[in-house]
Amino acid sequence: MRRSLIAPLAAMLTAVPLTLAAADGGGDGDQSWTPPRTAWGVPDLRGVWDFRTITPLERPAKLGDKQVFEGDEAAEFRVAELGRRDKDRRASDGISAEQDVRNAYNQFWWDYGDELTEDRRTSLIVRPESGRIPALTPKGRERYSAMRAARARPPRTPVDRGVAERCILGFNAGPPYSPSAYNNNVHIFQSPGYAVLLIEMVNDARIVPLDRRGHLPAHIRQWRGDARGRWDGDTLVVESRNFTDKTSFRGSGANMALTERFTRVGPDRVLYEYTVSDPESFKAPWTAVIPMKKTAEPMFEYACHEGNYSMFTMLEGAREGERAGGHETGGDGQ
Amino acid sequence: MRRPNRSGSIVNPLRAAFLLLAGIWCVPTLAPGQPADRTPDGNPNLNGIWQAVGSANWNLEGHSAEAGPLANMGALGAIPAGLGIVEGGEIPYQPWALERRLQNKADWLKLDPVVKCYMPGVPRATYMPFPFQIVQTPDHVLIAYEFASASRVIYMDRPDFEHPGDAWMGHSRGRWEGETLVVEVTNHVPDTWFDSAGNFHSESLRVEERYTRNGPNHLMYEATIEDPEVFTRPWKIKLPLYRRLDENMQLLEFKCVEFVEEMMYGHLTRKDEE
Repeated sequence: MRRSLIAPLAAMLTAVPLTLAAADGGGDGDQSWTPPRTAWGVPDLRGVWDFRTITPLERPAKLGDKQVFEGDEAAEFRVAELGRRDKDRRASDGISAEQDVRNAYNQFWWDYGDELTEDRRTSLIVRPESGRIPALTPKGRERYSAMRAARARPPRTPVDRGVAERCILGFNAGPPYSPSAYNNNVHIFQSPGYAVLLIEMVNDARIVPLDRRGHLPAHIRQWRGDARGRWDGDTLVVESRNFTDKTSFRGSGANMALTERFTRVGPDRVLYEYTVSDPESFKAPWTAVIPMKKTAEPMFEYACHEGNYSMFTMLEGAREGERAGGHETGGDGQ
Repeated sequence: MRRPNRSGSIVNPLRAAFLLLAGIWCVPTLAPGQPADRTPDGNPNLNGIWQAVGSANWNLEGHSAEAGPLANMGALGAIPAGLGIVEGGEIPYQPWALERRLQNKADWLKLDPVVKCYMPGVPRATYMPFPFQIVQTPDHVLIAYEFASASRVIYMDRPDFEHPGDAWMGHSRGRWEGETLVVEVTNHVPDTWFDSAGNFHSESLRVEERYTRNGPNHLMYEATIEDPEVFTRPWKIKLPLYRRLDENMQLLEFKCVEFVEEMMYGHLTRKDEE
């Protein structure tokens, strides 16, 4: 009688790693898993996807060429990173009074997430191997420096504060999407011929036609670019062009070619990969991979411009400083 | 359960191929009252890019043409006449609210929230002079509006989902009634208007929208507006929406914040630069 239990038990034991592999969605998990399909037969990416992570976009310099954490390194890095980001530290905890002021919100308001990506990579950037954004070209550096200088001074006009604080695009909305302070969620919709990427920050819906039509004419430019999609096997590939010179993703310019790839790798995982190609701005293309987790939580409207009192107060403060004979100081340079 | 083919035999493959091709190539012809074509999950197909035509955004009630507020815009800045889209012609305001509406209209350029590029709310987003796109899934209907990149998600699968706060575009829960998508919109902020003529509401606003296909390229839009703090009874608006048939039609960007910054913040900017 006892022997008859062995086979089912063995089956269960072998099944456990497979199930976990499918659930953690690392691309090299259960190869037999196939994504669900929509009623019209394409891979089903629908749902709300959470891309929070404390894995840094760029590999910290102190980690050298280490691509993946080993042993206890991930746990140690996580603890240190959470400590570094803790906004509830006060001057009495050893941070400068200036830093305390710059932290602005309490920890309660921040939602970077508290986990590294499950693949334990040391950076979201996977190419180049340095895990860091390639050097800017002279033109790229010039644009980036001008932007940094504008941010570092008390704002002369709203333009000095950048698109996120002007409420034109969310701080994590890119494109491409990049984990940041909070509301790191994108709701994907699909209907025949379309995919729609609705990001929570500032409600921006990128509508992606899948009918192989060409991009907009080159002189029609958009803050979020112009997206066109296609299926590469089970992967949704979104190519965006026609950006403006008014936005910049980590130094990118108007002629950035952005390729984003969305692959359902498990019941509750989409692997999001993007490649920035912009020879005018970067000396080489670069690619990042961000696992997204399915969430049952709905997204809510982020009415940013409608409540942008801080733009009034920043400008008022800057003018008041000038009236008081102050010089241009301050700004957080972010 | 699907019933077997009446003859019990395998369908003639040629006939099947013909029907398939006919289904792909035939332009849908839909007379008023006929059922709409279907989405893959079997609901009336409202997918597409739609737009209202007319001057409801200037004034829901019938109105003559009049000069606009900006003389240097000339004829292009003038307000076109309209027959009105309010059932019965007039919005049934309570006396105090009518007074307020007249004050709003007198000072609308300063007070109208869409002048500041704020999200228009519901139903106004529907008849702003900009296209919007409906994207249907079985659980959600997304409506993305070109104006201000506003959007809203209509929850088809969560009738009991209560919104924890208020929103500029409200909180939308939908259901199908025959050929009609019915959407209950609640949790409105009190700050949106219905048009540029000062027609307004309070935070007690509830809107029931009805979207019905009545042609291959037309939707009939009806909305019942209820707000016991402002009106004496519920009232209705009705207008057709037209499919944008332009080749390669797509929503373009109208992120209007940059167009209102000088108006809103100009008095606080530093003028000696550039």
